[in-house]
Amino acid sequence: MTTAPTTRERVSQRVPLWRDVIVLKWVTQVALLLVVLGTMWFLASQAGDNLRARNINTEFDFLERPVDIQISEGIDTHPDTGGRALWAAMVNTLRLSISGIFFASILGVVVGLARLSDNWIVRRIATGWVEVLRNVPLLVQMVLIYSALTALPRVGLDTGPVNGWLHISNKGISMPRVFIADGFYQWAVVVLVGVLVAHFVRRHRQAVQDETGAHTSPTLWALGTVAVFGLIGLFIHPIFSWLGPVFDGVADLLGSLPNAVPQVLLAAIVVGLAAIWIHRFISSRRSALGHLSISDDDCFRIAFTAVASLAVVALIARWTGFSAWTLNSGQDLFAVMADKFDVDGAARPFDAMRPDIIQKGRFPNYGTNGLSMSLGFASVFFAVVFYTSAFIGENVRGGILAVPKGQTEAAKAVGLGRGQIIRHVVLPQALRVILPPTGNQYLNLTKNTSLAVAVGMSDMVQVGTTVFNQTGMTLPVVAIWMLFYLSCSLTISVIVNWFNVRMRLVER
Amino acid sequence: MSELSSAAAAANVSGAAPPEAPKLPPRQWAKENLFSSPFSSFLTIATSMVLLVISRALLGFIFNPIRQWNSTATNMQLFFTRAYPDEQYVRVWSSLAAIIILTSVSMAVWRAGSSIPLSRLGRKLLAGAVLLVLLALLAPFSASATIQWTLVAVCVAAIGEGIRRSAGKGEDERSVSSLTVLVVTLAGLVASLWVVPFGHHTYIPSRQPRVLAESGTVALTTKLPWTIMLLIAVAAYLVGRVIRERLPLNPTRVTLLVLWLLAPPVLIYLVLRDPSFDMGHVVSTDLPIFAAYAVGGSLLLSWLTRPSTGEAGRIVAVVILIAGFCTFLTPMRMVVRLDMLLLAVFALAAPTFAGGPRNRKRYVLGWLGVLGVMSWLITAINTPSTVSVPGGFFIGGFSITLMVAVLTLVLSFPLGIALALARTSTMPIFRLLATWFIEFVRGVPLITILIFFSIMVPLFLPRGMHLGEVAAVVIGYVLFSAAYLAENVRGGLQSVTRGQHEAAEAVGMTTAQKTLFIVLPQGLRVAIPPLVGHCIGVFKETSLLAIIGVFDVLYIGRIVIPGQTEFMGSTKENLLFVSVIYWVFAYQMSKASQRLEERTGLGER
Amino acid sequence: MTDTTPTEPDGGQTRDLSAARDMIVCENVSKWYGDFQALEQVSATIKEQEVVVVLGPSGSGKSTWIRCINHLEVHQEGRIIVDDVELTNDLRNIEQVRSEVGMVFQQFNLFPHLTVRDNVTLAPIWVRKKPRAEAEAEATALLERVGIPEQADKYPGQLSGGQQQRVAIARALAMEPKIMLFDEPTSALDPEMIKEVLDVMKTLALSGMTMMVVTHEMGFAKEVADRIIFMEGGQIVEQGTPQHFFENPTEDRTKLFLSQIL
Repeated sequence: MTTAPTTRERVSQRVPLWRDVIVLKWVTQVALLLVVLGTMWFLASQAGDNLRARNINTEFDFLERPVDIQISEGIDTHPDTGGRALWAAMVNTLRLSISGIFFASILGVVVGLARLSDNWIVRRIATGWVEVLRNVPLLVQMVLIYSALTALPRVGLDTGPVNGWLHISNKGISMPRVFIADGFYQWAVVVLVGVLVAHFVRRHRQAVQDETGAHTSPTLWALGTVAVFGLIGLFIHPIFSWLGPVFDGVADLLGSLPNAVPQVLLAAIVVGLAAIWIHRFISSRRSALGHLSISDDDCFRIAFTAVASLAVVALIARWTGFSAWTLNSGQDLFAVMADKFDVDGAARPFDAMRPDIIQKGRFPNYGTNGLSMSLGFASVFFAVVFYTSAFIGENVRGGILAVPKGQTEAAKAVGLGRGQIIRHVVLPQALRVILPPTGNQYLNLTKNTSLAVAVGMSDMVQVGTTVFNQTGMTLPVVAIWMLFYLSCSLTISVIVNWFNVRMRLVER
Repeated sequence: MSELSSAAAAANVSGAAPPEAPKLPPRQWAKENLFSSPFSSFLTIATSMVLLVISRALLGFIFNPIRQWNSTATNMQLFFTRAYPDEQYVRVWSSLAAIIILTSVSMAVWRAGSSIPLSRLGRKLLAGAVLLVLLALLAPFSASATIQWTLVAVCVAAIGEGIRRSAGKGEDERSVSSLTVLVVTLAGLVASLWVVPFGHHTYIPSRQPRVLAESGTVALTTKLPWTIMLLIAVAAYLVGRVIRERLPLNPTRVTLLVLWLLAPPVLIYLVLRDPSFDMGHVVSTDLPIFAAYAVGGSLLLSWLTRPSTGEAGRIVAVVILIAGFCTFLTPMRMVVRLDMLLLAVFALAAPTFAGGPRNRKRYVLGWLGVLGVMSWLITAINTPSTVSVPGGFFIGGFSITLMVAVLTLVLSFPLGIALALARTSTMPIFRLLATWFIEFVRGVPLITILIFFSIMVPLFLPRGMHLGEVAAVVIGYVLFSAAYLAENVRGGLQSVTRGQHEAAEAVGMTTAQKTLFIVLPQGLRVAIPPLVGHCIGVFKETSLLAIIGVFDVLYIGRIVIPGQTEFMGSTKENLLFVSVIYWVFAYQMSKASQRLEERTGLGER
Repeated sequence: MTDTTPTEPDGGQTRDLSAARDMIVCENVSKWYGDFQALEQVSATIKEQEVVVVLGPSGSGKSTWIRCINHLEVHQEGRIIVDDVELTNDLRNIEQVRSEVGMVFQQFNLFPHLTVRDNVTLAPIWVRKKPRAEAEAEATALLERVGIPEQADKYPGQLSGGQQQRVAIARALAMEPKIMLFDEPTSALDPEMIKEVLDVMKTLALSGMTMMVVTHEMGFAKEVADRIIFMEGGQIVEQGTPQHFFENPTEDRTKLFLSQIL
């Protein structure tokens, strides 16, 4: 227990700075940080000098300036300002990504199951599909599809497999469109009420099931309730027409507000949301004992959220037009809503139309009646769906193969049926393997839609390129791209993570 | 649902591999694999019909007389090297020969290839014959062409059946090396160049481009070099076998790996670019700088690697590093700065490799080697090329695709490993910087990075300095690839258990030694399959060069050739050809990676 | 086998080591993982040539303690002095201590990508800066000493657990350590292999190596140990000669432990 004093005296207590591990560690790190920052500063100052020398502007005001851009399709084909053009482009990119993810998932599952099929021909076809599509660059596939589509017959009333219903021509694809009609908003309110009721029904059925142990299928009951309300709503929706005047009042109120109110409100909402998210995120990373363990990815997410929210706040503060626009659009929104509810009782919630063909200048083209896909959109869409389906198919196959044989045998041994085995044993375990890499594929798909620039479809990158070619605002446009794509990536990874966590709960 | 259940059942029955049942008689095989259930029978019939319709359409497309396939044949040179001058073409062939020699010798030394049972080979040939017959029947051929194709199919079938008969059964089943099969196939292809009338296509890019298409075999300038290449490959393989038997194995392998590493820059600059050195400048400036660094650096490093040097050495190394950064503050030759930084890196790593006289000598030799290669590269880059082509970057097509892919991989590999190490490091700032970089780059599409770099790199450079567009784009590729590579390597590094780290620390290794001798060898071995996947990805991503406007193979196939007056609108033919080129390479790489995975799975671990 | 003459052939009886110098001195060593205190004021002195066996239930901090001595874990309070070198943040001290203290792990932790010979020679070549030929000659001698000279060119994955652990001992000995730490060296082994490892450890103890052993092998403790330290809850509860410890322990917790384990 005792220490010989001689030993203690012989040990030197002082650690020289250049041999102290902790000092060395921090000095190295700070040195690296300085080198990185120094390099960035050097590059930035060089770029700044060069930009000034070439009179290139780095302001964001191009967003409000008029531009001359034609957008291939989407919510606005002749946007009046740069901001509006980028907005329309963003909607196009999102439309591509979301529909692409949806169809690629379905096709991917089919491909993955076909790869495991008992049937030799089906298996071989699926293998060929995967091996061909995986090993040819997406861009090559995209331009190949594009060149194949351009060779289609010219548009006319009788082009397409189903006359008058489905057109496939060198102007793209057009099919009948179901759209929401005048009575929709009143009907939507009915359905909303239905959802509320369904929530209570579900809770009740769940309680009954927990108590008695009988199978009461609460989810089915809830869905049924919503369906019943939707069906009844088709006939009784005019009962909500009194909401029109209410919305009118709100619109008038908004019109009388000063510009500062939405500015403060928007900033507060953004900061508040970010704060809540960060708080919840941090508390989700806290262990039961209260220890905080935050990985670097988490740090990145938190910091990105904070920086992004501050950036949005700065944008709101500097760009007064935005808040004015928000206020106006709020007013417009309510005015529109008031309008929507102010219809007579005979209006239908839904309507459908067949595609039409109109003369645009010298050439016939699709009109606005049908649901049309331009050639560019179609080629990007098919290319990303096919390409991603090959990868998702491999994930699905790997996931199913990863479920050990013993699991099915055990399930059989306890007397589960074939369907039950798949639903309760195979699928949950397979999904756990399939989901993370598939989430990655969703990310890739979203990023891959940026190749649309090669076939002239107006996505973020194509419109951004046009904007900076016209205005010279390279850096701001690139900054907007980065912000947009990073937000998409983070959103998808958050959603996939959420599913993952849920799957793990199901597994328990 | 029943499809899913059958799939799940299949998965459970067969495990990883789909059931192959070669022993079954055909009728039983068909019953089990095609008509096992009503649903399966329905699927068989339906998919066969669809397949027939699709192949009929595809063949109809390919063999349609209006297809301008001679646009592809005529522009073959454009596809592969673009505007490379004919009189200098021997350089392309020699660089190809160098790669072929390296490949063959490596295959011999590493004992690549496997043995294929003759019966399997015969069955494959028979299957090929069946496909040929189907092709002859489905394609819109004239009657004589159909008969010709059928005859070829019958020949193939006969050869296949002959091989199958001679295979023997049971114990004494004979097999053949896969390399033999490869050589025979290649020899057949090369022989066909001399015999089969593919046609003789040339393109004369004068004021009025003319197309010459004669019947007969291909030009001598095509068939002769390919024949020589095949002979070189066989000869090099034989030499490689002698080397494997006569020379010690490990040094040979290390030498080959170093040669592989050196091959891309050397071939790109010596063979394809061949700088015309201004010898006066080299003697007056470059050589003295090299000599000064070689002598000074060697002395310094030999002192630093003495085990007795201790901390003083580290301090000296840090001083050199700081001096290296300070050189950027005063105007001087770039080569001086880069050499200084290189010396600092070697000095910092010196204590790791300190040891006896043999170690020290090796370390100094390593320094001299790296310094020599770097000095030569810098001099070569700063010297005009002897190949002069009016207007722009002369090389293009598939060459530039390969060049960008190889450069990207070679440059991003060290960067990616460094990023992965930083991301798994215990030092928070390293980790944070690496994470931010990786997540940022992985979050945005490659095309935005390429556009950014092709615009921004000229702005980043100090006035008076220029960098070609291809070089700027390659920087973008390298950063992008490094971020993804880092994630793959990180997966490998994380598979190294904590016990390994502790064991290395417990025997007194420094962090550098631990990383170099324990963590990286194990981590990288685990990361091999995803890394090969990454290589395929980079190769495919080079197609994005076309969007930037570089004359890569896709740009030529999509824009350049369809723009020639003779071949207006031949886009589809050429794009199909481009897809086939990409597919062949990427598919072979992915097959190779699967074989590699199987081999490492079997090897000792 | 190159055994130097042991001071006392029968390790069961105590040797007089009071005149020997202190090899390891721990003074009030404490360590926390977050809120959990793994070591609480641990103080002990280990003399040269002494063999100390550390006993205790799992989670009692035995492993943490000996890992602190090798600086694999960093203690937060108190002092650890190994062979007159204090373990501080001083880089040189850490390097010195690590090259003087050999460690054998429960999971062997051999380097799977290197042959047995390379496993043993790696550290002498790169840390001790020995010429390769010399290091290999020593490795051969060491492998002979642990009884597996014929396995030198195999990979660890091809050896049995007992053989792997003996290679691990040879690897630690190759650094010519003054102290050997054993962290449950036999816990991951099949019963029939435990003896071959314990035999190697016994010869090592008899050759005069200073050793600290965390183990559950009571036979080994009785036979070889000069002193037994019993830990629980991060504290040293009791220490003494094997005779004292097994025959008349003073503390209740020790008695409880012994009643459970014997």
